[in-house]
Amino acid sequence: MLAEKVDQMMEWSSRRSVIRMNGDKFRRFVKAPPRNYSVIVMFTALQPQRQCSVCRQANEEYQVLANSWRYSSAFSNKLFFTVVDYDEGADVFQQLNMNSAPTFMHFPSKGKPKRADTFDLQRIGFASEQLAKWIADRTDVQIRVFRPPNYSGTIALALLVSLVGGLLYLRRNNLEFIYNKTGWAMAALCVVFAMTSGQMWNHIRGPPYAHKNPQNGQVSYIHGSSQAQFVAESHIILLLNAAISMGMVLLNEAASSKGDVGKRRIICLVGLGLVVFFFSFLLSIFRSKYHGYPYSFLIK
Amino acid sequence: MAEHHTAPDYKHKASSNAAGALSGNGRAGSSGGSGGLSGGLTQPAGWQSLLSFTILFLAWLAGFSSRLFAVIRFESIIHEFDPWFNYRSTHHLTTNGFYEFLNWFDERAWYPLGRIVGGTVYPGLMLTAGLIHYVLNLLNVTVHIRDVCVFLAPVFSGLTSISTFLLTRELWNQGAGLLAACFIAIVPGYISRSVAGSFDNEGIAIFALQFTYYLWVKSVKTGSVFWAIACCLSYFYMVSAWGGYVFIINLIPLHVFVLLLMQRFSRRLYIAYSTFYIVGLVLSMQIPFVGFQPIRTSEHMAAAGVFALLQAYAFLQYLKDRLTRQEFQTLFFLGVSLAAGVVFFTVIYLTYTGEPYHHLYAKIHIPIIASVSEHQPTTWVSFFFDLHILVCTFPAGLWFCIKNINDERVFVALYAISAVYFAGVMVRLMLTLTPVVCMLSAIAFSNVFEHYLGDDMKREKPPAEDSSDEDDKRNSGNLYDKAGKVRKHVSDIVTMLMLMLLMMFAVHCTWVTSNAYSSPSVVLASYNHDGSRNILDDFREAYYWLRQNTDEHARVMSWWDYGYQIAGMANRTTLVDNNTWNNSHIALVGKAMSSNESAAYEIMKSLDVDYVLIIFGGVIGYSGDDINKFLWMVRIAEGEHPKDIRESDYFTPQGEFRVDKAGSPTLLNCLMYKMSYYRFGEMQLDFRTPPGFDRTRNAEIGNKDIRLKHLEEAFTSEHWLVRIYRVKKEDNRQGLDHKPRNLSQKQKYISKKLMGGKCAPRGAWLAWRRGAL
Repeated sequence: MLAEKVDQMMEWSSRRSVIRMNGDKFRRFVKAPPRNYSVIVMFTALQPQRQCSVCRQANEEYQVLANSWRYSSAFSNKLFFTVVDYDEGADVFQQLNMNSAPTFMHFPSKGKPKRADTFDLQRIGFASEQLAKWIADRTDVQIRVFRPPNYSGTIALALLVSLVGGLLYLRRNNLEFIYNKTGWAMAALCVVFAMTSGQMWNHIRGPPYAHKNPQNGQVSYIHGSSQAQFVAESHIILLLNAAISMGMVLLNEAASSKGDVGKRRIICLVGLGLVVFFFSFLLSIFRSKYHGYPYSFLIK
Repeated sequence: MAEHHTAPDYKHKASSNAAGALSGNGRAGSSGGSGGLSGGLTQPAGWQSLLSFTILFLAWLAGFSSRLFAVIRFESIIHEFDPWFNYRSTHHLTTNGFYEFLNWFDERAWYPLGRIVGGTVYPGLMLTAGLIHYVLNLLNVTVHIRDVCVFLAPVFSGLTSISTFLLTRELWNQGAGLLAACFIAIVPGYISRSVAGSFDNEGIAIFALQFTYYLWVKSVKTGSVFWAIACCLSYFYMVSAWGGYVFIINLIPLHVFVLLLMQRFSRRLYIAYSTFYIVGLVLSMQIPFVGFQPIRTSEHMAAAGVFALLQAYAFLQYLKDRLTRQEFQTLFFLGVSLAAGVVFFTVIYLTYTGEPYHHLYAKIHIPIIASVSEHQPTTWVSFFFDLHILVCTFPAGLWFCIKNINDERVFVALYAISAVYFAGVMVRLMLTLTPVVCMLSAIAFSNVFEHYLGDDMKREKPPAEDSSDEDDKRNSGNLYDKAGKVRKHVSDIVTMLMLMLLMMFAVHCTWVTSNAYSSPSVVLASYNHDGSRNILDDFREAYYWLRQNTDEHARVMSWWDYGYQIAGMANRTTLVDNNTWNNSHIALVGKAMSSNESAAYEIMKSLDVDYVLIIFGGVIGYSGDDINKFLWMVRIAEGEHPKDIRESDYFTPQGEFRVDKAGSPTLLNCLMYKMSYYRFGEMQLDFRTPPGFDRTRNAEIGNKDIRLKHLEEAFTSEHWLVRIYRVKKEDNRQGLDHKPRNLSQKQKYISKKLMGGKCAPRGAWLAWRRGAL
């Protein structure tokens, strides 16, 4: 009986590193004794109609981990990776009283799963390394996570280089545009605006785009604390900064260009308006975030 | 021309700065005013330099005085954490001399390991302070070394504004330079690291940075070896002062590289960079802490690569004169494409694997780096808070620089872009961004003022005064005459509003400096409802207690934040301190703090700990205390001892970190919890709250009956902010593990036997003796 189960599991896992289970299989191979192997089960909902994007990300990490185990030299019949999809084994979910996906559980070779046999997804996240650490903790099986090398970055770089190279080659008779100061200045300003509006913070911290209050459905674009920001907020700031800078440039243009006086006056006023208005606007946003800041200008 | 027109505006600027800085306002206003109003227009050059001099002097004064908030409110005291170490080593330098300092092995830090101080610090700061102290004492001005240390950074801020003036003058013109000097004197992004009392490397390093850049630009402009050597010397000073010199040794090669790409190669550039690289390399290797890094580590390789490229390029230029066109073209294509490719990819590779990514990586993966708040990325609020209007206007300055590009403006553009990137990655690098923002904003503002203030001046001045600028003025006059009255009003409005924005900047800077950056954090202040002030001097109280009441060689265990302060103020041996070089040692302390008492006692015994010092803010509601830092201790300990410490044990099943009854039992019985809340359960702070109510975390503590077995309370400061525990020595002889009940039975048995007149076996007798003891 036991040997038969192990053989069956080994056969499945030789075909696929993660074994798909339905209700019957789950009960026979995971729940029911006798067993001498540990099973890691991912309960998930991968069907597109479930719209579970976290499940898909978790699944990728899980596949990476299972493959690392499957093709490692330490691979044995002591540990199997399985998955139960909600749409194939809803009864299992009910049986285990489980109402959220994805969930990772470890079924030890002896006895029932304890509290610590459920992976603490909320706190640790589902990176393969964390999963491997948890598995090592529960089963004493060390898995070295081997990620398939990611070539997308290299390919993108190569594409970009070849694109730029191709462009240069096609326009080799007319390379004037490289010496176009406006283009370079624009590029430099883009970098500056992106950084001063905190895009790097967004990149590292990954905040939500905006916050929607679940009670009244109100959407706030500005984070209330000075320690954090929303993506939308940083875009607003980017635009404000750009507007102020443009105002300064326009003020300069108005005075230094040789054109119609009336037009220059309008440019000058527009520039001034941009600087003053958007700066007061920026200041008022800052004031709303930095509590206790006493100063404001034009706009409260 | 430009200088004349713009100058009076800077006078306004400077005096408003000084007024904003609260002190010296009367003087600043009057002297600035007289400078502007005096009719010394007969000698333009003299008038101009007098005005520049006055403005720079006032900027220095304003910068110096706005950094004195902490000294006036509290006293002349060293701030925060790292400055205490710098102060201690400066003190060591002045008492024992230079060579003793270089060879100093500090056995009071990192017990039992110790620290080779001379070889692991950037000595520039200490040497500067020591030298000033020495010179002053030679002149019979007897100041204490502490006062030299406290006022060093404010004094150097004046030098910074002068070097910023010089650099901006090279980049744009004198007017922009003066404006930049005024900006950098008061901008919060720089004040944050240079208030009186923050005796830290950055205080002098920003001066060295700006001055090096000035000399570099000067040497590129002139192509003279003299300026290049001066640049190297300044670079040497920078290397001796701060690890941020890496920024210079990457930016200058980048400048050269981009100039080559732009086909702006010149003999001047060749001379400047070749001299700078060789002499600078040799000089920088003289600093013991830097040693052979400049030829070994990846951060310095870009400089070497560009040096090689420059030589190759110059060689090709030389060949070009000797060879035929056809030969040369083949050679050129081969050589340049090969060399440029190699260097370019090296640079790209190094920037990607070098500093910023290294930090990004570390931030995610090493708890001890993640636990330092300075290593976080920057939100837009921090940018605005530290730079105010400058952050919105400096892109305009960058625009003007790129539109009117020349060799040195390439430099400032690269400086701006790289600095803004690094500042975005890490909050503390805002410091390197601040100077360039000041310069570029000054360029933007000065451009606007040149155009709009010029009008005013022309109207006020009769046209036949400056013979030199005659033509220029007439031209502009003609240009503006068409505009007529309305035009004049418009320019008045523009000037007024711009001045208003600048005034708001000055006010903002003063407010920020006063409210955010002038707290010594060694002494705390709280304000009552009527505005009167309470000084909470618990830290110094406790450190002084340690100094007076403990053995000179006592070893104090605390979390690493307080290591430097204990060494500096209490003069006692510490286990870990703010120089977090040994993660496993810190993890051991973290493990002791997060284990239960008996497990912690074993660790403390193995580390020879005599006292344990903790910070507890529950009584006064101080949020930076050890319980709030506790999770970092757990995380760091878990990183090294995953079998013994688990972060999840310290959370409730719902994943919350709570100190009340619902908190996890592991937390409620760990050493840190016990030491923090020992006897706190008996204390009722006010009538609305139950006894044992923690004001910082707004919770009634969960474990009120705390008994300590291996520790005893030695000292608790007035507001309970610092608590010190003595680690009891082991008993002379350890009790047996046998249960006492067993022994008493045995005793009975023995006595029976004794009564029976038989001789008891020897072992039993011994057991009886022990039981009796």
